[in-house]
Amino acid sequence: MKTLIVIPAFNEADNLKALLPKLIDLVEGDVLVVDDLSQDDTVEVVKSHGIKCLCLTVQLGAWGATQTGIRYALQYGYDHVITMDADGQHLPEEVHSLCQAYKNNSTDVVIGTFPDRLSRLKKMAWSFFKFLTHIKIEDLTSGFRLYNKKAIEVLSLRQASMLDYQDVGVLLMLLKSGLTIVEVPVKMQDRYDGKSRVFSSWLVVLKYMMQTTTLCIANIGAKQTK
Amino acid sequence: MTNLTILIIGALLSISILYLVRKGKMHGPYATWWLMVAVSAILLSVFPKVVDWVALKLGVTYPPTLILVLAISMILVRMLTMDMALTQKERKIRRLTQKLAIIEDSLKEDK
Repeated sequence: MKTLIVIPAFNEADNLKALLPKLIDLVEGDVLVVDDLSQDDTVEVVKSHGIKCLCLTVQLGAWGATQTGIRYALQYGYDHVITMDADGQHLPEEVHSLCQAYKNNSTDVVIGTFPDRLSRLKKMAWSFFKFLTHIKIEDLTSGFRLYNKKAIEVLSLRQASMLDYQDVGVLLMLLKSGLTIVEVPVKMQDRYDGKSRVFSSWLVVLKYMMQTTTLCIANIGAKQTK
Repeated sequence: MTNLTILIIGALLSISILYLVRKGKMHGPYATWWLMVAVSAILLSVFPKVVDWVALKLGVTYPPTLILVLAISMILVRMLTMDMALTQKERKIRRLTQKLAIIEDSLKEDK
């Protein structure tokens, strides 16, 4: 079982300094950091830990960077991809819980969630999207996920490249392809530093809400392809 | 006199497009589209009665509205196809960027 841990990173040098040593100690499997055109020394930090770093030449955003890792995994024949954020929110010791849940549930995707983390505003947004899409998942944006081979194949497709965030769009694609998703509660930590990207400013939130709502409405009644 | 104005606009447009194609600044489908626009402008200016005749057949009482509605619809269609083309370009750029990163890494590995 070959597992690849994919970490999309944009200006995360400080957080990665704290995260990578712990990750190497605690987790078996290869680690791949995808650098989304950082301006700080993210790449140097990653390389100094002896970890592989892919560098994008055009900024693609978190999902674009993650998909790069997923395509890498497909090309090199990995069986599983675990994605986690670089900001220290997702704990290396919880990777084990994801794998455990995967083994116990015979599912295609495992999402690590930490329901308490959700603010009231987020909860409102999520229930709105859940109402639109009928996705029965608590935390739509959690980037702490395990994908198996089938999910890797689906998410490597060209259609998946047009998604802008690793959340509702990705989940809809997985569900449409007939894959199953299981959620496990995990511990999460507050960010070492820095703020949430999606929920950083009102304008960004508005843009995110509009885009995702459009995506949800466009997918109403979409049939399973398999 | 409006016919003459339209004729001049159409002629200028045709010349500009042919010039742009010659200089390699516009290609294939775009050039064809714009040339068609120019040609229709010229045709309409030469045979303005065509509009009245078509409007009559379609039951449009005031022929100029027909031209306006048609023109706006064509512009909307064009804008829509433009955004579709942009989306396709964006997808290609994203895929290429990802592929480039993976290949760049494999090249380093070989050394």
